[in-house]
Amino acid sequence: MFPKKLEPVLLKVQKPGRYTGGELNSVIKDKNKVDVRYAFCFPDTYEIGMSHLGMKILYSLINEREDAWCERVFAPAQDMEEQMKALGVPLYALESGDAVRDFDFIGFTMMYELCYTNILNMLSLAGVPLRSADREGLTPLVVGGGACACNIEPMADFFDLVSLGDGEEVTNEIIDLFKIHKAKGSTRKEFLIEAAKIPGVYVPSLYNVEYNEDSTVKSITPTCGAPAKVTKRTVKNLDTMFAPTSFVVPFIEVVHDRTTVETFRGCIRGCRFCQACFLYRPIREKSPETVEKQCRAIYENTGYDEISLCSLSTSDYKGLEKLLNSMLEWTIPEKVNVALPSLRADNFPEELMKKLSAVRKSGLTFAPEAGTQRLRDVINKNITEEEVLSTAALAFRGGWTAVKLYFMIGLPTETDEDLEGIANLAQAVVDEFYNNPDKPKGKGVNVSVSLSTLVPKPFTPFQWEPMITPDITLEKQQKLLGYIRSRKITLSKHNPKTSFLEGVFSRGDRRLCKVVERAWEKGCKFDSWDDMLKFDTWIETFEEFGIDPYFYTARTRSFDEVLPWEHMDFGVTKAFLMRENKKAHEGVTTPSCREKCAGCGAAAINGGECSETRKNTA
Amino acid sequence: MKPVRILLKKTGLAIYISHLDMNRCLSRAVIRAKIPLWYTEGFNPKPYLNFLCPLALGQEGLAEPLDLRIEGEISNDEIKESLSNVMPQGIEVTEVYDPVMKSAEIACALYNITLEFENEKEAGVFCEQAKAAIESGELTAEKRSKKGMKTVNLCEMINSFEIEQQSEKAGIKTVLPTGSTLNLNPDLLLDALYEKTGLSPESRLVSRACLYNESGEIFR
Repeated sequence: MFPKKLEPVLLKVQKPGRYTGGELNSVIKDKNKVDVRYAFCFPDTYEIGMSHLGMKILYSLINEREDAWCERVFAPAQDMEEQMKALGVPLYALESGDAVRDFDFIGFTMMYELCYTNILNMLSLAGVPLRSADREGLTPLVVGGGACACNIEPMADFFDLVSLGDGEEVTNEIIDLFKIHKAKGSTRKEFLIEAAKIPGVYVPSLYNVEYNEDSTVKSITPTCGAPAKVTKRTVKNLDTMFAPTSFVVPFIEVVHDRTTVETFRGCIRGCRFCQACFLYRPIREKSPETVEKQCRAIYENTGYDEISLCSLSTSDYKGLEKLLNSMLEWTIPEKVNVALPSLRADNFPEELMKKLSAVRKSGLTFAPEAGTQRLRDVINKNITEEEVLSTAALAFRGGWTAVKLYFMIGLPTETDEDLEGIANLAQAVVDEFYNNPDKPKGKGVNVSVSLSTLVPKPFTPFQWEPMITPDITLEKQQKLLGYIRSRKITLSKHNPKTSFLEGVFSRGDRRLCKVVERAWEKGCKFDSWDDMLKFDTWIETFEEFGIDPYFYTARTRSFDEVLPWEHMDFGVTKAFLMRENKKAHEGVTTPSCREKCAGCGAAAINGGECSETRKNTA
Repeated sequence: MKPVRILLKKTGLAIYISHLDMNRCLSRAVIRAKIPLWYTEGFNPKPYLNFLCPLALGQEGLAEPLDLRIEGEISNDEIKESLSNVMPQGIEVTEVYDPVMKSAEIACALYNITLEFENEKEAGVFCEQAKAAIESGELTAEKRSKKGMKTVNLCEMINSFEIEQQSEKAGIKTVLPTGSTLNLNPDLLLDALYEKTGLSPESRLVSRACLYNESGEIFR
């Protein structure tokens, strides 16, 4: 139950519903009847964390076990943090109200590099020593997972173990092993040495990293029998894989408040900037029957009036038409909206689009990412201007009046011409609206252009590429603004400073641990929130340790450099990434996996299986 | 289409759910309960749900009326049963009936308030001074209105007020105007009393017991 001591403060903080728990479908167990207590922590506020699918999956998965109880923990907002500190109440879990420091596992999901200071802040609020080396006894074990796990080096000192890839199987294996060691009375180190033998488990403390004089990594050496390469986990069959049948239904409004079901993992497209595409390969599909069954179950258990079919590129889902035809039969009469995020402009049938908007119209978003065909070829975003325009025209005929376009700046080989291309493409979409003879009367069009900065990420063909500096980002943003002529186009830009920090940490190494810790001590947290970011403090902290942050972002890495994440294996081979990098600079595209296997190598870690045909492999 | 009135009890931690969130919470509950609802006929069809008298954040409600519109065959007992099975902790369906009065008839509400002070002495002083303040006929407070802040005399708005000390607690029973024309949130009254007496309790629980119409009958 909610800590009694905190009740009087609930009326003094914003959105007290973030802190009380007691939501529908939250799982309450008898703590005396479980062996393992798992605090699943999300390093951001409740509204963001409660939107995260991975957390919902693992919450249900752990609670399915009779011997374990998984509870949720979110980062308190500043006002609540102050109240908790004033009253001496440590970070607690929502279900039991018990202090997080007394749990066996404190698990963090890391979807974004800028949550690192929040992780330290939450550990500190919990009263847990930040560094793995300073924690005595077996518990609490601080564990992590999520996209950032592919290069967790800037947080290596704080985590006991990190799991790579799909969590559905490895989470249970870690808990099983933990139970044995808890019963035996093992030390933390004894447990971690054994845990490192589970495929997909990375124990940072078991690796020694040496550096060259030029600050690049010289070597990464495993100790205590840890594997030289940690291979990420992939669940082979998504139809038999664990999936939740109900979600906790929040009282307060959260970012994504709906039924979300995955349709497949991985992506056939191979856009060269996209980390998710390469991290989650090979492609594995769920059957439409399974997807529909899971949607129905969650809908009935939550009462959500919206279902989102998610994946990295939902229109590439082979079972999409079959699924929608079957699902719309009950969603339309029951007034449930079906949303398809991540649609591509080039392959969505008009008929389906009409049916989808039968209940409610949702937004329409395209991601051409680059302004000219030349640059789209460089990044392998195989979408043509004609495809964008014809889909936009189709949407306008269907009654849509707002279109969102996503673009990136700072792409390799980018010139002013490419920036101008962004403005031109947006303008062409506006023109397309006015060319439509049946356009809705009395309504204008709104094309909103969202502009982000390329952050080269590990395990992408761009992992060796330099990132543009914040100054150049601002310059390019200004230039683009100058190219835009229509008031129908609105431009929203990412903060170059946040992108820069993201760049530092995404390709950072272990020497950054002390920087993160020090910056947090100086008050940095919620760095991804523009109003909370203390950029000057960050820069000051880099200087304090004599670390040049541009070393991590602005430098072109050579193919033979030992990368800080060299000891991670995510399936796609380095040879493939190098090949793709060279093709990028030549402006040569790679067809999607459906057209021709590109030989990324990811299928090897899945017993040679991939949902796409591999017959073209020579 | 048939209108149905539901009485809800909102207690415990559920009192920290705001009025807007209650709306969302109940519209999901009726879907889970598979109650055949009448939907609004706009571009964005929504089930018709109407809380007749919004409850302030942090207050308990023992009989909060919610109106639904039903499309199809289902009895009031069936609605009560199926809704009861899907409600979250702290929100309970106590009654389902065909509406008798119109929502505009709501005139006032009975509040039971418990204030817990640091010690018995403080509670005693508070009770005495609060009683005197109400009986004096003048207790002013800044009240937000459509035309901005204005100073009002709360005593003129209070229908009845009783206060009684129980060791370190003060128990208040008060009937205050509520509804579309005149409204007095008990929190405003309490704040004015805290200011007047210079004493504020360690904890407080405001519980709305029921609603009345103009002639003092329980709202149905």
